[in-house]
Amino acid sequence: MSSQGGHQGEDLTAVPPERLDAIEAGVGTDEWVAQAEERRIARTGLSGLVQRGWEGIPPAGHLAILMGPFVLFPFITNEGNLYRYGLLTLLYALLALGLNVVVGFAGLLDLGYVAFFGCGAYLYGIMASGHTGHHLAAQWAIPIATVATGLVGLLLGLTSWRLLGDYLAIVTLFFLQAFVIFVNNANGGLNDFSYPFVGKVDLTGGANGLDQIDPFHLFGLHITTTKGYYFFTLISLTLLMTMLFFVNRSRTGRAWRALREDPLAAETMTIPVNRLKLLAFMFGAATAGFSGTIYGAVQSGAFPGDYDVGLLITIYAIVILGGLGSIGGVVIGALIVNGAPELLRSSANARFLFYGVLVLALFIALRPWYKPLIVLFGTVAFGFAVHGIATAVWSRGTAGHIDGGGAFGRGLEHWVLLPARTNTIAGWAYFALVAAALVLTLVRGWWRVVVLIPTLYLAAFVWENKLVEQVSGATRLILLGALLVVIMNVRPAGIFGTSRVEIV
Amino acid sequence: MRPATRWAARFLCDLPLVSCILFFAELARSVPLGINWSLFFGELVSGLTLGSIYALIALGYTMVYGILKLLNFAHGDVYMVGAFIGYFVLHWLGGPLSPAVTGWFAVGVMFAVAMLGCGALGVGIERFAYRRLRDAPRIAPLISALGVSIFLQNTALLLWGPQFRDYDTFDLVGVKSYHIGTNFFISNVQILTISVSIGLTIVLALVVSRTRTGKAMRATSFDRDAAEMMGISIDRVISFTFFIGSALAAAGGVMFGLVFGQIFSLMGFTAGLKGFTAAVVGGIGSIPGAVLGGFLIGLTEAFATGYLPGGSVYANLYVFALLIAMFLIRPSGLLGSPAIQKV
Amino acid sequence: MALLELRNVSKAFGGLQVIDRLDMHVNEGEIVSVIGPNGAGKTTVFNLITGIFRVDSGEIVFEGEKVSGLSPHKITNHGIARTFQTLRLFLNMTVLENVMAATYGHTRASIVEAMLQLPRSRREERRIKALAEEKLAFFGERLAGYRHDQPAYSLSYANRRRLEIARAMATNARLLLLDEPAAGMNPHETHEITELIGKLRDDAGYSILVIEHDMHVVEGISNRVVALDHGVKIAEGSFDEVATHPLVIEAYLGARAEAEAV
Repeated sequence: MSSQGGHQGEDLTAVPPERLDAIEAGVGTDEWVAQAEERRIARTGLSGLVQRGWEGIPPAGHLAILMGPFVLFPFITNEGNLYRYGLLTLLYALLALGLNVVVGFAGLLDLGYVAFFGCGAYLYGIMASGHTGHHLAAQWAIPIATVATGLVGLLLGLTSWRLLGDYLAIVTLFFLQAFVIFVNNANGGLNDFSYPFVGKVDLTGGANGLDQIDPFHLFGLHITTTKGYYFFTLISLTLLMTMLFFVNRSRTGRAWRALREDPLAAETMTIPVNRLKLLAFMFGAATAGFSGTIYGAVQSGAFPGDYDVGLLITIYAIVILGGLGSIGGVVIGALIVNGAPELLRSSANARFLFYGVLVLALFIALRPWYKPLIVLFGTVAFGFAVHGIATAVWSRGTAGHIDGGGAFGRGLEHWVLLPARTNTIAGWAYFALVAAALVLTLVRGWWRVVVLIPTLYLAAFVWENKLVEQVSGATRLILLGALLVVIMNVRPAGIFGTSRVEIV
Repeated sequence: MRPATRWAARFLCDLPLVSCILFFAELARSVPLGINWSLFFGELVSGLTLGSIYALIALGYTMVYGILKLLNFAHGDVYMVGAFIGYFVLHWLGGPLSPAVTGWFAVGVMFAVAMLGCGALGVGIERFAYRRLRDAPRIAPLISALGVSIFLQNTALLLWGPQFRDYDTFDLVGVKSYHIGTNFFISNVQILTISVSIGLTIVLALVVSRTRTGKAMRATSFDRDAAEMMGISIDRVISFTFFIGSALAAAGGVMFGLVFGQIFSLMGFTAGLKGFTAAVVGGIGSIPGAVLGGFLIGLTEAFATGYLPGGSVYANLYVFALLIAMFLIRPSGLLGSPAIQKV
Repeated sequence: MALLELRNVSKAFGGLQVIDRLDMHVNEGEIVSVIGPNGAGKTTVFNLITGIFRVDSGEIVFEGEKVSGLSPHKITNHGIARTFQTLRLFLNMTVLENVMAATYGHTRASIVEAMLQLPRSRREERRIKALAEEKLAFFGERLAGYRHDQPAYSLSYANRRRLEIARAMATNARLLLLDEPAAGMNPHETHEITELIGKLRDDAGYSILVIEHDMHVVEGISNRVVALDHGVKIAEGSFDEVATHPLVIEAYLGARAEAEAV
């Protein structure tokens, strides 16, 4: 949308809302233009209803709805694994919240964010672990680690003082690399630096990590169980969300948003842009550092391999999915993005998730209701047909088995082609699938329905023969990468973000 | 702000620069006196070779940034795909031990297929991941590029596994070493790399400065809307830019395989990072700058590995420090021009 | 002593001398219009005053203090606020938030105080909101109460121009720099803007420096007019003096051809 939209003719700019109904709708009428935008944004049907309902509830209600399930969760179940899953989700949400301040509020692209996460873990470990021999109580160690990480963020941010946003991305990415290299080698060994006065010092335990990190000893309370950390993280997350909500409505929050909108205009309106960028950077770093202390205590160690680009992408995916700048969105984002790897650990679960998401996406993307049904039945029929032909003509094509899939898996064996040796054909099928997906974006209408049928069957084929193998590794990241591209192209605002107008 | 605070803030701002200088000084102190010429020339050649590969990657970055103001994170992974295409073409031709055609011809075919294939890949990436985001807020195409990069990396990991693949240049064309005097050694593949790299750069420079398409590219990088109004098809120009940039990266990938032997699915990440550093150090948007930057980064890495303590492990850190220093001293790079913003 | 003084200010971009040894001043309570053909350097003067560009030589003095060389947000804090020729609002923020954002410079509550909702933060919020509403009320029905929570991108063009002025007012400035406030407006809106600028001086006590092309507006509001051409001041005085000045006519219309001067 351009920033100029003058109109000639009758000046209806001063009409109070009560008279709006009486105005003839027409291009150029000020109120009609404003309302048209609202009508376009407000969705109809069920999602519109949900959206309007959500907006009607006060912010405290929003918080209750978002965090309620997490609070009730412990009363429903006691299974250890689920606690770990919940804890990790909350931790990721905490991390994403900090990143949201840097990226969503202030508009800076920080690609070294997880280095601060690691910083917090290592600093806490240096102060409270069996490895170093210090055992500072958590009530001192946590704030010190958090503030220190914030200061590291300050130093890194200072280098951005004169940088454009794009360059900051590269500098921070390099910082992450530097952090990993440093942490891998700062064990007083061969490759370590010799510091002035003290010579070589084992700071981080090198590639084996800093182990035997103390659990939290907070004001006499000892947190040693996953459940305990779960509640600690839950309370911290809720507090942080509340505080950020207040900040968003304060002068700092407004200044951040103005800085994101137009840094030059903000600067001329008394907003010290560079100082605020630095503040956002520090805030994000401190939040990541705080999360790091929790992670270090939970893992009882800080290991270099944990703080890599994979984690960075995950956190970014959470922020983007939830909506840049949306505080509540990070929780939903964390649930979705972290749900996948946890559920994907067993291939049976992953299978359900995969087909479920496909069907769901089908029903969301295709309107009206009969189109997705046609596609669904068509694909099933197509599959059985192909399978039948293959059994007759190419026996090796259906020789494989699906392990551990239960009844669903056995049914799938009759539907999907499962060649005995999958490697080369699965590779070509993968490329064919990507090509088909891209073609789908180019066609419209009923052509889309037609192309979807073989594409979905191909997707199932690739899944069963290739993707299922590396479900918690490469596959997850492939899906995350594709998710990022798709979100940016289709709905840049994410789930909860508001669509933004940009000055070109 | 009180004077004391102002002084402190100024001190803090200069701190990173001062740290970099002290860092390099400390390192220089540990360089042994008395030059070992054999080592020196060895690292020099190694650095130039590495640098020519980085230069090729940097060219792609710098061209795309010049036209779209986009950091194409996926570029490094296109380089990786090029290396793999070269590898698969080699094996399709029978493998390094018994190629269907003579060694050097096979190399030529590898180059051709890899460059064409990656060119197409680059065009496809632009078409589907970036085209819609041309006028979106800056962060959107950046995130999309990140997504493409992760997608490519992990596709390679999934399909081709994490193990290293070997080009086995020794069996393919034979690695012959030439020497000048007793200390200067250079192998045939190293000569090939440096000369092909320079050759491609010259071709690119000629295309950009002499042909109509090149003129269209330059016009688009100055003012996209005005260029469109002058009848230039922006879509075609941008696709062409991506094609060339990706083809160059692919050439770099094949060269890496030939010279250093081993390729793996995550090689694009650090190479891309260094390629971008080279583009920035040389001045983003400038073609000679990209080449200069590439050689500079390559030489830094080689000499750091050879001379400095813990060199090979910390080589990346030294490149990082160089980048920071460049940002602080001269943000527009060595050969770039500072951008003027019209208000 | 003048409120704002430009002393011997020069600025060049590469080889192009955009402003050449310019002397200018604005007294308290007056409206000075800057006119000149396109490319004369008028917006550059604004950019120099507000610190977006650095002066090559000379100095800019506001209320006796040197402001040339300070960063833009400090200059605005001193008391100089501007609007932009091409409108630079915070489009995705609401009308009220746009104005509230500009109060950053004279408020103090830190981020920690906001996070913990300490009393000073809450008091300031109320004060900021009241101030913003007061500034918006200056524009009467145009930016009335029901508009306050609408996003800025939903405003009409004329209202966006008004909002930009309101935003500049919220910085508690004493000198306003208005860059082509009437650009793109129809005669009715132009008339309103002319009256508004007069009101800003008479009722609200602002001193104003205006760049304008529409001579009706210039005639209607100015205490003094300064004419620039190619970065040099070619005339200064009342509207009538400047409008009939031969150099000004030549700058706009060109010199008479030799053949016609019989």
